[in-house]
Amino acid sequence: MQGKGVGATYDSSKSELNLLRSIASFLENRELILLLVETELKSRYNRSILGLLWSLINPILTSLVLWVVFVTAFKSQLGNGTNFAPYLLAGVITVNFFNQGLMQSTELISSSSGIFLKIRVNPQLFVVANLLVNAINFYIGVCALGFISLITHADIRFTFPAVFVVGFLLLLMTMGSSLMLANVFIRFRDSRFITVILLQLLIYLTPVFYPKEILPSRVSTLVSINPLTSFLDVFRYVFSGTGTATAFDWAYILFFSISVFVIGLKVFRRNWYRSLVMM
Amino acid sequence: MSKYIVEANDVNFSYTIRNSTANSLKQVFINSAKGIGSDVEILATSGVTLELSRGEVLGVIGKNGAGKSTLLKLLAGILPPSSGVVKVRGSIAPLIELGAGLNPELTGAENIVLFGVLLGNSRKVMQENIELIAEWAGLTEFIDLPIRNYSTGMQSRLGFSIATFQKSDLLIIDEVLSVGDSEFQAKSLNRIDGLISSGEATILVSHDLGLIRERASKVLWLDKGKQIMLGQPEEVIDAYKAH
Repeated sequence: MQGKGVGATYDSSKSELNLLRSIASFLENRELILLLVETELKSRYNRSILGLLWSLINPILTSLVLWVVFVTAFKSQLGNGTNFAPYLLAGVITVNFFNQGLMQSTELISSSSGIFLKIRVNPQLFVVANLLVNAINFYIGVCALGFISLITHADIRFTFPAVFVVGFLLLLMTMGSSLMLANVFIRFRDSRFITVILLQLLIYLTPVFYPKEILPSRVSTLVSINPLTSFLDVFRYVFSGTGTATAFDWAYILFFSISVFVIGLKVFRRNWYRSLVMM
Repeated sequence: MSKYIVEANDVNFSYTIRNSTANSLKQVFINSAKGIGSDVEILATSGVTLELSRGEVLGVIGKNGAGKSTLLKLLAGILPPSSGVVKVRGSIAPLIELGAGLNPELTGAENIVLFGVLLGNSRKVMQENIELIAEWAGLTEFIDLPIRNYSTGMQSRLGFSIATFQKSDLLIIDEVLSVGDSEFQAKSLNRIDGLISSGEATILVSHDLGLIRERASKVLWLDKGKQIMLGQPEEVIDAYKAH
């Protein structure tokens, strides 16, 4: 017998990709999502000796490089008692989640045209699966952060489980952004390069390795508008108690991630079929 | 409940391309600055109405670019019609570009499971049938190798075997019988005939009029997306030839 889901009755007069039905299809197709997650993990780590350990080491190495370069410049300017190493690592894994999640999941959509052109399957499921892999990476990074905090004698606050909420909201925002950009990337081949540059700019406008306090006021405004800054402030605050995260920051990331997610789903389904014709 | 597996009612599909030459953002900016470019409406399918019940075989004929593939995508639910309604009751086995959609980094066995689940089967069913599917494709000894090591023919065989290892409700065949060696062609034709006689509704797209004449219970003739004729195979094929 054929299973449910993709093989079931199809009626073109009922929209397949409206908001609630999209979310329902994520739940209905969790077997497929799980399989895609496993597949992705396998193809990513199969042929590397370090395997999943690489996710642990990678952000630490990146942070190490930044640490060597910036420690003398910025360390003294951090607030009292703030350790530079955990400060950096928190920044690196947060920004990585958004950056890599966005680039990889959009790439996955455009490289899977062979599937979408022959099987009726919701392409958003592929984005969900890829971002779950990146979320796993993020949480492994959080473990690395815990480890680094211990050996540098930095504080770990009792509120640290709230990091899971931060990760989930970051996933929603990354998903919305990916869905907004996926169709653009399919249709215009240079848009990917432009996005890489814009993302680079966004990352420099996030206080990954510098303290916000040292910025001139004009740049500082830009940095505060950047939602990644609020994500990072909240993350550092709940994990190590450094910096400040106001109720406003919480509200800002909550509002931003949910609205980007909803708009992303909407934009995606309006443009998807036109992209499919061009694939 | 209607007895039809496939129902299409006055199905049209059109899409507009703005600046058909612009495939980069740079080009879009240049074109809009120069005032070049306008909306081009492409009518890929128009006025198709058909029904298909269990055990019936619909042959689709027409020149290259007549909109046969687009029609298949509409009937398979891959593209939504711009107007009109398509209904399909049951599962679909798509035999379109065999091998496309398989993941080259995964082994044959992993591809069997992934592709099967994508088609709507449960993971358990697919895992239980790995050997059966591999054997039919003649790939038993290679099934644990990544399929980037497979030849195109081997990939096609695997794709065919996965999509047809069990009965579905609608079989969609797009020119795939021209791939592979003659032995594989005979074998796959045999399996298709088995599926047809077991009552599977089938849509067959081919330039091979002999093949269509032999198997189809009705034939649809498309030209530039338009439904020219739908009826008895002999009648439609003769009219198409005379055209």
